Amino acid sequence: MVDHMRRCLELAAEALALKEVPVGCVFTVNGQIIAESKNSVNATHNPTRHAEINCIDQILEYCRLNNIDYKLYFKNVIVYVTVEPCIMCAAALNNLNIREVVYGCPNDRFGGNTVLDVSNFYEQNYILNGNLLADEAMMLLKEFYKGINPNAPESKVKKDKKV
Amino acid sequence: MEPPVKRNRIDDSINSITIKNQTGIDNLIDSIINSKNQPQIILGDEYYQTLPLIKVFIGHVKQPKDISKLFEILNDKLPLKHLLHLKRVRKKDILLSPVSFLNSDTQESIQEYIERNIPEIKDCFEYFREATVPLTPPLTRKQYMENLRHWSLNFHPNHYIETIMSDQPFKQSEARNHRIYMALTFEIVKWYFNIKSYEDILQSDFSAAVVVDPTINSVVTLAVDNRHEHPLQHPAMLAIDNVAKTQEGGVWKIDIDDTLKEDLKEKFKIQYGTRSGTAESPYLCTGYYVYLLREPCIMCSMGLVHARAKKIFFSLDTPLGGLKSKTKLQCIESLNHRFEVFTGFL
Ligand SMILES: [Zn+2]
Ligand SMILES: [Zn+2]
Repeated sequence: MVDHMRRCLELAAEALALKEVPVGCVFTVNGQIIAESKNSVNATHNPTRHAEINCIDQILEYCRLNNIDYKLYFKNVIVYVTVEPCIMCAAALNNLNIREVVYGCPNDRFGGNTVLDVSNFYEQNYILNGNLLADEAMMLLKEFYKGINPNAPESKVKKDKKV
Repeated sequence: MEPPVKRNRIDDSINSITIKNQTGIDNLIDSIINSKNQPQIILGDEYYQTLPLIKVFIGHVKQPKDISKLFEILNDKLPLKHLLHLKRVRKKDILLSPVSFLNSDTQESIQEYIERNIPEIKDCFEYFREATVPLTPPLTRKQYMENLRHWSLNFHPNHYIETIMSDQPFKQSEARNHRIYMALTFEIVKWYFNIKSYEDILQSDFSAAVVVDPTINSVVTLAVDNRHEHPLQHPAMLAIDNVAKTQEGGVWKIDIDDTLKEDLKEKFKIQYGTRSGTAESPYLCTGYYVYLLREPCIMCSMGLVHARAKKIFFSLDTPLGGLKSKTKLQCIESLNHRFEVFTGFL
């Protein structure tokens, strides 16, 4: 569990290095990572390309190529993500009936639980657990919002990552 | 999400609803374009609800000449605080305080309270009574008018709200544009899914999106439902990605059929194009209007918030809708972007 979140934090740090909001995410089945991604909003000019959406896309493509019924496949998915999924991603994950979400720090701006509890609108809900390595996830976010200042050192992030 | 089940018409019992539902799709599209009705905004519930009420004490004044003195003393000793939307005085009645203001444990009456705390006015009243008045300020003229029977109210109409909530929120030419762009969503669905009647629309869950740059009255992009192939590819999500493509981004390789685009241009006399690449190149969907056949789901609604769309229009409610049916994302104050939402095309 912690290892998966560590991987998410690495992905988030990669996003930060690319000047994206640092959020990283892995999707797992039976403890194995089956998709991993990071926020790519700036790279794509598409504000919906959050880490979770990118992972969902990867899995759908995998299912399509291998003739797997994605509806069954997603039922066993556990999502690890450095920041609580936003309202959009929480709704998407509910639509797909995934099993569980484990996040790092809460999302005070857009959180699908913190700002608006999306689970109220769906009959079946995933299990939601938070605060796994929350400080690390929050540090990256702070670094990003500080980094909107163009003079912020970029290399520091990569060093921190190894800690 | 269920796959689309195209059911046959269950029975042919004749009533007005089935007659309307059997309206051919082309007639329906014509009626959307030519309707005299304007789209109506969807605001927060607080704009439509009857105002919550509270009980207050009223003192009936003996001598009208005392009123101005009483007004000053009461504003000093018994200020209305959160009830500044209530006038203090109506004819010979003066508003004293909410009933809940008195300590219910001591069972003190308003008369006793005044005798004990404001003795200088204790003889000014003929009698005291309770009244029911609105707890919160009226936000609309309608709420104001409805509550005048309770008590006199201070009301400063918000002219923007009054106009936007009226039957005619838009200029005629603008309203016609909204209807034409909405009609496009029906034409797209008709083309892709072999829709023949209003009934077919109601029996399916297909939707389509049209994104418009109102500053140049031009269609930026179109999108059609692909959710049954790909559960993220709802029209709004596809439209947002298509807009990204006009800004040298985008991810999904799926687009509207070129023949259809040409047909739509002919039939509806629309133009395609964006300001991308010009000095006024838009950021994401900033300034754009998004027309959807159906109310977007919560995922799409939040996607449109992320995309910073300016106005959203839709025709049909959806059970899991995020702008009217399940929740109204446009009313969540803490979100960093808010858009206006309109419906009422059918
Ligand atoms: Zn998200
Ligand atoms: Zn949707």
